[in-house]
Amino acid sequence: MATDKVYWKGFDQLANSEVSQRMAQNEFATEIPMEQFLGDDKLMGNAQTSRRDFLKYLGFSTAAATLAACESPIVESIPYVVKPDSLTPGMPTYYASAYTDGQDFASVLVKTREGRPIKIEPGDEGRFNRGTNGRAQASVLSLYDSARLRQPVKAGVETDWSTIEGDLKEAVAASVTSGKQFVLVTGSVFSPSFKSLIASLRQNYNNFNHVEIDAVSSSEVLDVWEALTGARALPTVDFAGADLVVSFGEDFLNGSTAQQMSKAFADRRKPGQGMLRHIQVESNLSLSGANADKRIKIKPSEVGSALAYVYNKVSGSNLTVGALSAAVQSAMDTVSKELVAAKGRSIVMVGGNSGANAHLAAAVNAALGNLGTTLRVDQPIFIRSGNDRSLANTMADMKAGSVGTMVLVGANPAYVRPGFAEAMAKVDYSLSLTDRLDETASLCGAAAPVPHYLESWADFMPISTELAVSQPTIRPLFNSKPAIEVLGSLVGETKSAKDWVKATVAAKGLSWSQTLHDGGATVSASSSASASEAATRAMAGASEAAKTATKMQGGDFELALYQKTVGAGNQSNNPWLHELPDPISRAAWDNYITVSAKDALALGIVNETQSDGALNGSLVTLKAGDYTLENVPALIQPGQAQGTFGLAVGYGRTSAGRVADGLGVNAYALNLPQGSGVVSITVQEGEHEFASTQLGNTMMGRKIVNEVTLADYMADQSGQSWNEKPTFHTMDGTVSANDANLWTNHDHETMHMWNMSIDLNSCTGCGACVIACHLENNVPVVGKQEIRNFRDMHWLRIDRYYSSDMSKDRADEENLGGIDMYAAMEVPGESPDVVFQPVMCQHCNHAPCETVCPVGATVHSREGLNHMAYNRCIGTRYCANNCPYKVRRFNWFNYQKNERFTSVNPAQDDYGRMVLNPDVTVRSRGVMEKCTMCIQRIQYGKLEAKKAGEPLADGAFTTACAQACDTGAITFGDVNTAGSRVQVAKNDARSYHLLEEVGTQPSVFYQTKVRNRA
Amino acid sequence: MNRSKTPIRMRFFATSALRALTIILMISTLTNPLHAEVDAELGKKLFKANCASCHKLDKKLVGPALGGVTERRSEAWLLSWIRNNAALRASGDADAIAIFEEYGGSVMTAFENLSDDDIQSILAYTDMPAAAPAPGGKDLVPVPISNVPAEDNTTLLYILGGFLALFTVLLLRIRNTLKEVHGDTATTVIQDANALTQWLVSNKRFMTAATIVVTVAFLYQLFWFMMGVGVEQNYQPVQPIAFSHKIHAGDNQVDCNYCHSSARSSKHSGIPSTNVCMNCHMYIDGSEIVNEAGALKYAGDRSPEIAKIYAAIGWDAENRTYIENYEQKPVKWIRLHNLPDLAYFNHAQHVTAGQVACQTCHGPVEEMEVMYQYSELTMGWCINCHRETEVKKANGYYANAEEGTQTINERLAAKFHDEKITVEKIGGLECGKCHY
Repeated sequence: MATDKVYWKGFDQLANSEVSQRMAQNEFATEIPMEQFLGDDKLMGNAQTSRRDFLKYLGFSTAAATLAACESPIVESIPYVVKPDSLTPGMPTYYASAYTDGQDFASVLVKTREGRPIKIEPGDEGRFNRGTNGRAQASVLSLYDSARLRQPVKAGVETDWSTIEGDLKEAVAASVTSGKQFVLVTGSVFSPSFKSLIASLRQNYNNFNHVEIDAVSSSEVLDVWEALTGARALPTVDFAGADLVVSFGEDFLNGSTAQQMSKAFADRRKPGQGMLRHIQVESNLSLSGANADKRIKIKPSEVGSALAYVYNKVSGSNLTVGALSAAVQSAMDTVSKELVAAKGRSIVMVGGNSGANAHLAAAVNAALGNLGTTLRVDQPIFIRSGNDRSLANTMADMKAGSVGTMVLVGANPAYVRPGFAEAMAKVDYSLSLTDRLDETASLCGAAAPVPHYLESWADFMPISTELAVSQPTIRPLFNSKPAIEVLGSLVGETKSAKDWVKATVAAKGLSWSQTLHDGGATVSASSSASASEAATRAMAGASEAAKTATKMQGGDFELALYQKTVGAGNQSNNPWLHELPDPISRAAWDNYITVSAKDALALGIVNETQSDGALNGSLVTLKAGDYTLENVPALIQPGQAQGTFGLAVGYGRTSAGRVADGLGVNAYALNLPQGSGVVSITVQEGEHEFASTQLGNTMMGRKIVNEVTLADYMADQSGQSWNEKPTFHTMDGTVSANDANLWTNHDHETMHMWNMSIDLNSCTGCGACVIACHLENNVPVVGKQEIRNFRDMHWLRIDRYYSSDMSKDRADEENLGGIDMYAAMEVPGESPDVVFQPVMCQHCNHAPCETVCPVGATVHSREGLNHMAYNRCIGTRYCANNCPYKVRRFNWFNYQKNERFTSVNPAQDDYGRMVLNPDVTVRSRGVMEKCTMCIQRIQYGKLEAKKAGEPLADGAFTTACAQACDTGAITFGDVNTAGSRVQVAKNDARSYHLLEEVGTQPSVFYQTKVRNRA
Repeated sequence: MNRSKTPIRMRFFATSALRALTIILMISTLTNPLHAEVDAELGKKLFKANCASCHKLDKKLVGPALGGVTERRSEAWLLSWIRNNAALRASGDADAIAIFEEYGGSVMTAFENLSDDDIQSILAYTDMPAAAPAPGGKDLVPVPISNVPAEDNTTLLYILGGFLALFTVLLLRIRNTLKEVHGDTATTVIQDANALTQWLVSNKRFMTAATIVVTVAFLYQLFWFMMGVGVEQNYQPVQPIAFSHKIHAGDNQVDCNYCHSSARSSKHSGIPSTNVCMNCHMYIDGSEIVNEAGALKYAGDRSPEIAKIYAAIGWDAENRTYIENYEQKPVKWIRLHNLPDLAYFNHAQHVTAGQVACQTCHGPVEEMEVMYQYSELTMGWCINCHRETEVKKANGYYANAEEGTQTINERLAAKFHDEKITVEKIGGLECGKCHY
């Protein structure tokens, strides 16, 4: 029977209020955010876009587009008036140079196209610290940073150089008359030319004072080495002669000479007899710790005592040892035993900036006979020379008003040292020669631009055996002047920066053109440092150092500062460095404290995954002595030592540019020049939104990263027991995944067959390859919100997996069901092993993406590549859904135009656009993209061979990622070339395909990771 | 303008410097010319071969104007100067030193291979009275006047049309008259047409057929219209300088690669920079171009088009020097061949590796007075060529390999046997080869 009952949704409707009437009429409760999708917010304005309007726009734009397409724009083609000889339009020109950003040094090659630097590549074989870390790769974008200072500025108003130089001269003269100091503040100076300028400034002005300051200080460590060897420099670490490396908190794979170190480290970590063993003793889970064979958790305050304990064990001395936890003590017993077993063939490193720790580590090395063998004091490294004592003295002088003139060159102390900004108030005249109006420059009376390293001449002496030369690869973009020329005028020196460099090269007796061509030259070192003397001094001072170490204050909670890819913060305004997720935490665009799970539970710190998969976390306030830092997000980090936190420096900039400003918190504000200290923590109100790129933390018992211990590897070198290939049972018997095949095979024998091998044993997870890929392939930067939405555009990602304490065997023992077992597997262990796995398009020979594309936009090539034709793509995204490796990326927006990406996307900026690779299409909205295996390089390499009329040589060219990899983890080449490196790798017992059982037959394969443990 | 008003006497006018240089090389290897008597015609040839790159008759070039030089200097002095001017200067001859210094110390080549007769022939030539250039002369390269308008015959067509209309009216008149004679009702043309239309409209078969024909024709036209969108074949914009490929590549046979040198090595063929133009146009200023009537086109002045090159680079044609601190103005050519950004094209691949002649894609450039886009530059056009063109297998890339390994040619032969190896067979049709 029909009923006329009426069901009410609510009292509103019963009362038939205006609201409910309107809601009944409208299809949706709230307006659909059409503008968001249409992209150009301005065009649409705040107008309410009705469906009819939408159709009108659609019709109009279709008609307009058709009409516009009929009339081609007039394109001008403007040749040079006088073409430079070295330049052919369309061809790259390379210059050897040296990269410095105030923190790092590297020997590099700069690739230029039509006079624009577009890519940084590793320097010549044999150059010091050749190679490119993430910062070196990204540094080319810093050149085109539109936040750079363009004109000299005086009291906030643009002026010219003659005013600046005139004022400077007057100010210096005034300081001389008034008897006040003339202070020059710089970063570490290791340029011979600049050093000789400083020497002559010192001669000319007896009120002159030079202060060097490193953002992340090594001052105390340098003091120790100065006392031991006479040279204020760090010794060279030589992995070649080492069998065991024990690092106490030193993240050497991410340090100032990481390129050199990673290469040597990886070379000694080739699986086999005598493989280097690596033990990391640390509180934060660092990149080095993630690569260690054994990782021991320790509080920063315990490091000194642990070192003293080890020293006692290896030397039989009886130093005072502070309190150590039982776990650390037993771990140190084992470490000591291993060290003694590897006497003279081991290295003990120490991180942070504690003099006592550094001295104790030197003493342990001395006792082990490592000084002179694995630690080369005869080859000191000069990259760091900051001196905190002289800085403290100068700051006191500044406060006392006895500093008349202060010139800062490439230093930003107001950002990295609390109290400096206040001290500046009493300086009569201050001038910052800087690349941007940073925190310090904006406090100075005047600021003037200095050229970027790609625009200027400079020389460097990074190590006693090498003179490196940096040359300009583009005309200065802005009205900049090298600091050496500005300061040179104070001592009546009118030489140009180039002439300074020329004079230095000539003084070393080197050929100018050869040195310039090679980017530097090896010079004979005249170091008087004696390893045995240093060893004697180190052991003699050990007891004093141990006493200092015992006085080190511990606390319930200790904070250790660390560096992410952004580094110390000099290149904070570079979006590529932020877009790269942290290798360990996989969070991008942020810094945060890392907390152990147990501490988080105790403190009430929560990390919660939202319904859309994104991660939210608690906010905390940190207090170190008198210094407070608020609104610090907290991230729960497996592997973090209990009672410790980690916090990355280089964030919380206030005056660096639109990318960096307001991003993260400034860890320097806690004033921990030692790199660690006791903190107190309170959980705040509010939540922080993280942008994390990886949801899963563990492999859940699957063979994604294959791993074997060295012992097992040595026992069965054929790999049958530890690198089992999947098989299928068919009516024809048991067949391999390759043979269980529905499809016709492609012809891959006739022409080339490009394959790539990734050695998981060599990959340290640093991420330089990801940034290199961004540069090479014009990959758009999408910013934090889009990464949080899991719409990152990385063609190449590095997956990080933690090991879980749960395994199938253990589940059987404990009688756990499948659901419980997998739930437990998802939880990383407290001290997990970490593996990194770079994943890019696997270029499957039976590619699942190809079969589902309705328009044939992704097709297979006979060279083993999976091609992607952007212009055919209609954006169905079927391919991405069908990809088992999840490597396809969809352009959700027109990142180059859409206003919401203006602050992060360099291509939206006239300067930033200059970095784009002209050989690669800039993709538009609505198309899929993915790794092409740098097909532009393949095509270029083949063409060069054809032009020369020669067969293609193995290694004639490589992909951007392989080139950027310092450890040589990525090998690229043609497997059809007999004896090619990639062919050898393919036939190696360690090689396996990712998800081989799926039967995709990828062109990329991985080499099993071997851990040096029993 | 302190320009000499002496009329031009010679007829080597539009010869390019390149050609002159080639001839210099050829002639200078000859030791004794065959003619052993004084002959102004021979002198002219020798002058062109040996002297013209630095001297003109009527005005200064690198060296002084030579017209009437015999009136200024003695023959004996001239002989020894031309034979070996350095020796003459070394002997302390005041005149020789003076003239050397007047021209800023630029050293004149010694011509020891020229006989006295040769030199006298040259001098005889320099002495010849100025003659008006003869049209149609052997060496003359007339500059054709382009775009001669086709004969206009529209009026004729109108007249014919008028006649036809009149004739039709007459015929209709006659028909109606005959009908009336026959006793039928006379019909107008409109009535006839209506009757026919009504019959056609009511005929279903006709309507079906017509609909199909019209639809197909419309779709066919639409298809080709759409296919033509963005195709700029025959695009011929007006360039900032009226540069003629016909004069350069055609008449004077300048190699394409001389100006477009990067086509061999780079992705871009490259538009020559202005300094490349100056290699020749430092000497050739167009003042000697004659028009069809045989008169000097610019009345002895330099060509206004070539003057644009001078204005771009800052060349002071009067004093024959580059102007110092000149603000150079690049020439803004209009680009003809605009491939979309999504397509990667590399000249070197085609010119060097594929050994494709420029004309294959660019058409008869040597005949083009004004350059235009010859080919469609559509993907179909590319693909067709890749399907048909054979791979240059002799290239070491395909033909050579390391000891004990197969060459690509051998591998191709194993797969395709005796078939023609086209670009398609080595993967030249794959998307990613051009789109990345």
